Amino acid sequence: MKIKPFITDRIQTKHTSFKVDLNLENNVTFINGESGTGKSALFSFLEELAVEDKRIRCFNYLDYKKSYKNSIKRSKGKLFIIDNADILLDDNMRSFIAFDGNNQYIIIGRNPTGLHLNIDEVYELQNQEIDGITLFTLNKSF
Amino acid sequence: MITVYKKKNIPKNMQLISLNDIYFNKYTVEILDERAAEIIKIIDHSDMLNKYTISSRFNGTVLNIDKLSTGCKTVLNIMYNADSIFDICECGDNALDVVYSLPDGNVYCSYPFISFEMKKVNVFDKQGIHEIDSYEELKEWWINED
Repeated sequence: MKIKPFITDRIQTKHTSFKVDLNLENNVTFINGESGTGKSALFSFLEELAVEDKRIRCFNYLDYKKSYKNSIKRSKGKLFIIDNADILLDDNMRSFIAFDGNNQYIIIGRNPTGLHLNIDEVYELQNQEIDGITLFTLNKSF
Repeated sequence: MITVYKKKNIPKNMQLISLNDIYFNKYTVEILDERAAEIIKIIDHSDMLNKYTISSRFNGTVLNIDKLSTGCKTVLNIMYNADSIFDICECGDNALDVVYSLPDGNVYCSYPFISFEMKKVNVFDKQGIHEIDSYEELKEWWINED
């Protein structure tokens, strides 16, 4: 289900020798890929960015027992970044996110089922090293 | 070979671990040995420096071992804890291939999650343990209700 991003179409940040430059084409951006490609590292850099950017809220496995679901459902104008989505997002939340007209999402996980995404809305993280700096960008998975 | 469980048939004396990161950081890390280094190299392309540190695949800096990927931690949890069952739903394809190549271990996933490299697994259901050696048969077993 292709919907233009509600909050932003680009995220850029820097963390020591890492740079992040993500072009966001859809309101829900699902990132998957092999283990060990830097997905959770990316999450930690975006978590740091969220300290300065009030539009961004981050959740991962550390929030498993917290009320992140209600927080998402009550919010407006936020960019939610969710790591460990296979654990955190049940069918109900996936359906909510797919039809949420108030917020934008970057979801990191393995299984995009229930988010009503087209195959070309699933992305993989790509990294390249330039002069000692590791740059993370997004590439379509298929 | 690994044994695959369905949720309703998990034996009472075994626990199902879904939060692989936390379990690894708390328990598995204490029992790692040189076997872990090979797994870490294969999946995360990192070098294990000692029980608590690895070198980053990106820039070689020394990192706490808690920075391993969830997929890598899941494989290590399965390898080192034969008395528990681990949810493999967060494994990438590379970690999944390693899971299915392990000589033993116990796994669970709420949907069929099978490596194309699979050769043979045990499955545990109400009939007990039995062996499956084909992808299609395993998928069918996983989908079917007992």
